[in-house]
Amino acid sequence: MDEAGQVLAELRTARRRRRTARIDTFEAFYRAYLTALGLGLAVLFLSNLTGDTRLRPATLASIRTHGPAIVGLALALAVAVGLRSGGRGGPLVIEAADVRHVLMAPIDRGLSLKGPAVRQVRFALLIGAVTGGVGGLLAFRRLPGVPGAWLACEVTVGAVGAATAVASAMVVSGRRWSRLRAGVLALAIVAWSAADAALSWRTSPVTLVGEIALWPLRFRPAGLVGLVGLLVAAAVIIIGLRGVAGTSLEASERRASLVGQLRFAATLQDVRAVIVLRRQLALERPRARPWFRLRPVGVRLPVWRRCWHGILRWPGARLVRLVLLATIAGLAGVGAWRGTTPLIVVAGLALYVAALDAVEPLAQEIDHPDRSDSYPRPAGALHLRQLAAPAVVMVGVGAIAGLAGYLATGLALRALVVAGVLIVPASLVALSGAAVSVVKGPPPPLSPQQWMSLETAGIRLAGRLIWPPMLAVLGLLPLLAGRSATHPVPVVAAAGTGVVIVVAFAAAWVRFEADAHAWWTKTVASALWAPSSSPKG
Amino acid sequence: MGAELVAEGLTKDYGDLLALAPLDLRVTPGERVVVVGPNGSGKTTLLRMVAGLLEPSDGTVTIDGHPAGSLPARGATCYLPDDPVLYDDLSVAEHLEYTARLHGRHDWEAPAATLLEQLGLTARSDDLPSRFSRGLRQKTSVALGLIRPFSLLLVDEPFVGLDPSGRQALLAMLDELTATLVVATHQMDYVARAERCIALRDGAVTYDGPASGADLSSLVG
Repeated sequence: MDEAGQVLAELRTARRRRRTARIDTFEAFYRAYLTALGLGLAVLFLSNLTGDTRLRPATLASIRTHGPAIVGLALALAVAVGLRSGGRGGPLVIEAADVRHVLMAPIDRGLSLKGPAVRQVRFALLIGAVTGGVGGLLAFRRLPGVPGAWLACEVTVGAVGAATAVASAMVVSGRRWSRLRAGVLALAIVAWSAADAALSWRTSPVTLVGEIALWPLRFRPAGLVGLVGLLVAAAVIIIGLRGVAGTSLEASERRASLVGQLRFAATLQDVRAVIVLRRQLALERPRARPWFRLRPVGVRLPVWRRCWHGILRWPGARLVRLVLLATIAGLAGVGAWRGTTPLIVVAGLALYVAALDAVEPLAQEIDHPDRSDSYPRPAGALHLRQLAAPAVVMVGVGAIAGLAGYLATGLALRALVVAGVLIVPASLVALSGAAVSVVKGPPPPLSPQQWMSLETAGIRLAGRLIWPPMLAVLGLLPLLAGRSATHPVPVVAAAGTGVVIVVAFAAAWVRFEADAHAWWTKTVASALWAPSSSPKG
Repeated sequence: MGAELVAEGLTKDYGDLLALAPLDLRVTPGERVVVVGPNGSGKTTLLRMVAGLLEPSDGTVTIDGHPAGSLPARGATCYLPDDPVLYDDLSVAEHLEYTARLHGRHDWEAPAATLLEQLGLTARSDDLPSRFSRGLRQKTSVALGLIRPFSLLLVDEPFVGLDPSGRQALLAMLDELTATLVVATHQMDYVARAERCIALRDGAVTYDGPASGADLSSLVG
């Protein structure tokens, strides 16, 4: 090791030593216990919820034909996300102090960045392996094949896919490719995979990796071509790691600052701050000019018009994200209808994330409470009005989800009718979840939780974070109610009506939450501090 | 000995916003230049591009013929920002040690002790800067800048947060330097100590001449 490398290693060792000395052993064990408990519960949940119904021969044949390309398409999307991140300077997150003191020192940046880059690829491998493992767990319950083989293949494909996505970002950022160039490449890779999926080809390297994912279902010598995909992925990872020295310092410094804030916001469970910072990280800014201008109509409907002024300035990337999330929700909904129950959670979460984007006009108001305070109406009334335009947006998102589901079922009329019945309640309940999350905000720093036991406070905090997205999942439960019914449409419609009641409760909560909170605080304060009525002595 | 700084057509924009209009600049070795201008005029942008922290949208900037941000330019250029960025888990002394060694300086102990003494940080050398006030962090940042070898010093608002003794110490240190010096500041009394003044407004140069002859109130106001 040369002298610079030696100094860098010593610097990192000194920092690690100091950090290790600060760790509270009890807290570390407690965190490990909570993580293990959470993972155990997740595995138990997934294992129990997975449908055990074996797929029909026709479906199996379809999976054998189209499966590799569909898995490849999912991997291509992951790589495309990586390429886009690379175009914005990702994926490396370097500490601001490292940018100033190490990257600006006269030493080879490849040497400085090798460690963080390898760690990031290693982390991606782990996350991909876990995701693939969950996929394998779901697959072997419904598909023929050896469970161990499913797990091994899905873990491999997941790990390779995630690492390739991260390395693709490094290739782009290391070579300072423009966002446009990265975007075009991402589009080309996705289009290539989509062509493979549509025409049942096996030409794209990601489709070849997808071939490995289906080995437990159908292994044949020709399937070994999947190894070529692995070789291409390995090449991308090596090229990405070797080119990391070219990463832009400007982007690194910007990311260092934003990611630091992002982590802090995540620690505080401040969902809104996380969303805003993530948008900044993605350089997602409102358009200088709206997509089209609203016609002036005087002073009528000021809140409605103010909301649309904001929505019409949404950047193209946000619109594309909404369409993608809607498509995911639609496809996952079809999967849940056909028997893979856990996909209902995926569909619900996709709608919830879309709703967090859609609810932006209300979130803007909550971010600037002085504005609503100066408005001569109760804040709750204003907040409720600000949900009208997002509701229209969400019904649009729901319609796209329904269309995706309709197309995925091969234009089945029943799918169209079920989607038609469910679009409005499911979209609005997802919006309700997002509105509740935004209005509730992060947990207050000083709260009665401080007087609770660690477990109780933890469960309460987790509940506060989890129940808004669970509302969105709740909105799709009519799908599960109807899928096994002889005449599903009336069942879905009846359950959907029940969901509308949830929306009404959420709307009432948004309208009266501030008033109720003020009343409760005042009542508690007066009860605690009221002078005693019986004179002493 | 100081380094020569040359900028040709140096431009920075952020989409619609022009932060620095095409700028041509030559600073001769050992020259002392002060950059003034109202908030948002482009002073920090200029310094950060010379330091290699920002990439020009157009044009070039070189230090002794080497592009800003290149390995030789990083060795020659020291940038003291107005926002000190320090490790939370290294003491002041450790900061000084590793900064000096990363810049290839082996005889760092005696100069580090002198710097700490001059800046009044001797008693705090084993403390973590995460517990420091703004002024103490600024002093630590100054010490880190000056512990390493350089031939071009870029200083952005150096006196912000410093107490009078820290300010005097920094002034004395800057006066003793033989390196080329570019200081961006709002402190008008410092301008008189420079040889040359460059005034920026809305990203464009509005004055470039002797510091003594500059009408500062019109340039900065």
